[in-house]
Amino acid sequence: MLHSNNRFVRSITHSDFFNKSLYVMLLIFIISCSSDYTIQHEALLTEKSDYSLVFIIHGDGGYFYHDTNGNEYKADEVTLEKAKRIAQQNLDAEVFIFHQKPKRHFLFFFPIKDGELYYYRNGQLIVNEKYWRDQEESNFDLEVDIYRSLRAGNQHEMLKIFLYFGHEIPELGGLGYDVSYPKRAFTIHNLASGLKKFTGDTTRFDLMILATCFGGTPYTIGTFGTYAKYIIASPENLHLSYFDLNLFERLDFHLSNIDLHTFAKKFSKIAFDRLSNQVQTEVSIAVYDVDRTRDFIDSIHNIYENSLITLRGETRVYPATVEHCDCAELVEYESPTIGDGVDLFYRPASFGRLKYKQIHSGWQCWRTLNKKQLRIIDEQ
Amino acid sequence: MKTRLTFGLIVTLFVLSIPVIAGGEGELQKYFNKTATEVKATEDASAKREILNESFTDMLKVLNKVQNSGMISEEESMGVGNFKTTIKEKQDELNGTNGFERVTDSQLNNFADYTVQDIEQASITISLVALILIAILLVLIL
Repeated sequence: MLHSNNRFVRSITHSDFFNKSLYVMLLIFIISCSSDYTIQHEALLTEKSDYSLVFIIHGDGGYFYHDTNGNEYKADEVTLEKAKRIAQQNLDAEVFIFHQKPKRHFLFFFPIKDGELYYYRNGQLIVNEKYWRDQEESNFDLEVDIYRSLRAGNQHEMLKIFLYFGHEIPELGGLGYDVSYPKRAFTIHNLASGLKKFTGDTTRFDLMILATCFGGTPYTIGTFGTYAKYIIASPENLHLSYFDLNLFERLDFHLSNIDLHTFAKKFSKIAFDRLSNQVQTEVSIAVYDVDRTRDFIDSIHNIYENSLITLRGETRVYPATVEHCDCAELVEYESPTIGDGVDLFYRPASFGRLKYKQIHSGWQCWRTLNKKQLRIIDEQ
Repeated sequence: MKTRLTFGLIVTLFVLSIPVIAGGEGELQKYFNKTATEVKATEDASAKREILNESFTDMLKVLNKVQNSGMISEEESMGVGNFKTTIKEKQDELNGTNGFERVTDSQLNNFADYTVQDIEQASITISLVALILIAILLVLIL
C-alpha cells in the first residue's frame, strides 16, 4: 500500500514539474510579447539636451571580422559598446540606440524580440528594452514611435545627428538584406522613409554618418540629402571596424569652437588615419556638403538611375559582368561640378587591380567590365 | 530519472535554438583568417606562398563543387561565381599571372591580411544553402 502511494506521489511530482515548466515557458513568451517599456530616472525626461543622436546598428547579417592578430569581432556589438560609451560621456545629449539583431527562438518555438533599444538622456540610461522590429516592410515605424514618445522637448534647439552602421544598403531590389527576413526588401528608400519620419516635415539632421560600403553614390547621397545637411560616407568598400567614434564622446568639447562642417572633416580624417594604418584594402571617407553637391547630382541623376536599372538590376546578386567604379572614370559623368561640396580622404588598396589609382572623385557608379576582364571570367 | 530526462530535453532544445545560421556565416572569413595566421607564423617566404596558394586552390575546388552540385539556384550560382572571381584574382596576383604584378616576398604577410579584409568587407552575396555546402566541403577537403 505504502509502495503504491509512493509511486502515486512520484508520478504527481513529475507531472507537476512538467506542467510548471510549460507554464514558465508560456509566461516568458507572453512577457516577451509585451510592448511597454520601463523608464528609469524619470525626472530626467523633463531636462533639456543640446544634442540629439540616433544610432541604427544593423546586426542581422554577416558582421564578423578579424584584426591583424587574428582576433574575431562582431561589428554590430563593437559599435554598440562604442555608442553606449558616447551616450554615457555626453552629459547634455539624448542618445537613441537601436540595435537590429537576428531573429532567434527560445526552445525552438518561441520567437525572441529582435530589436533592442537603449535611450540615454544626459548621460543616464533611461530605457533599455527589447522590441519587435518591423515584421513587414522595414520603414522604422517602431523606432520612430519610440523616438517620438521619448525625445526631449526642445527639438528645434538641438544639434541632431543620425548614424547608421551596416552592410551596403542596396539602391534597388534589396531582398535578403536582413538574413532573418529573406523575403523582405530593404533599400535606401526604406531608410529614407525612416529618416523622413525621424526629422518631420520641416527639419533635417545636421549631420548623418553612413557607415556602410559604397554609400557615396550620387543616388544615395541625393536620396538621403533631403534629410541631412552634411553626410559622411564611404564611396568604396568600408572595413567592418567602421569609423572611429571618439570625437563623439564629448560633443560639448569637440564642437565648442568649430563649425559642424569642420568637425565632420576632422572626424573623417581621424577615421581615415586609423583605417589607413590598420587595413590593406582601400580607404575612402567623404564629407558631402549636400546643398553644394546638388548641381552635380541633379545633372547626372537620370544617367545614374538608368545604369542602376539596366546594369545592376533588382536581384540580390548583381551580374558578374558589372562592377562598382569611380564615376570620374566614365565619360558620361564628366562635369565641372563633380568635386563641388565633396571633401574626400582616399588611399588605394595595397594590392589588387586598383593599387595604383591615386585619385578618386568621391562618387561611386556602375559600369560593365571590359573585354579582358570578361574573358578572364569566362575562362574560370 | 524522468525529471532529469525532461530537464535534459529542455536544455537540448535551448541549445539547438541557437541559430544554425551562425554555422554558415563567418566560415569563409574564418577560413582565410586561419590562412593569414599560418602565413604570419612562418618566416620562410616559400612556405608563406605555398600556404596562400593551397588555400586559394582548395577554396576554388570547393566553390566549383558547390556550383556543379545542382543544389543551388541560378542566382545563388552567380553569387558563388562572383566569389570565385575574387579568389582567382587573388591567386593570380600572388603568382603574378593574368596581368598582375607578383606579390613580393616582403609583402606576403600584408597580402594575407589584405585577403582577409577584402573578403570580410566585400558584398559576398552567397546564400545560406551555398554557405553551408561550402562549410561542409571545406571540412571534408581539409
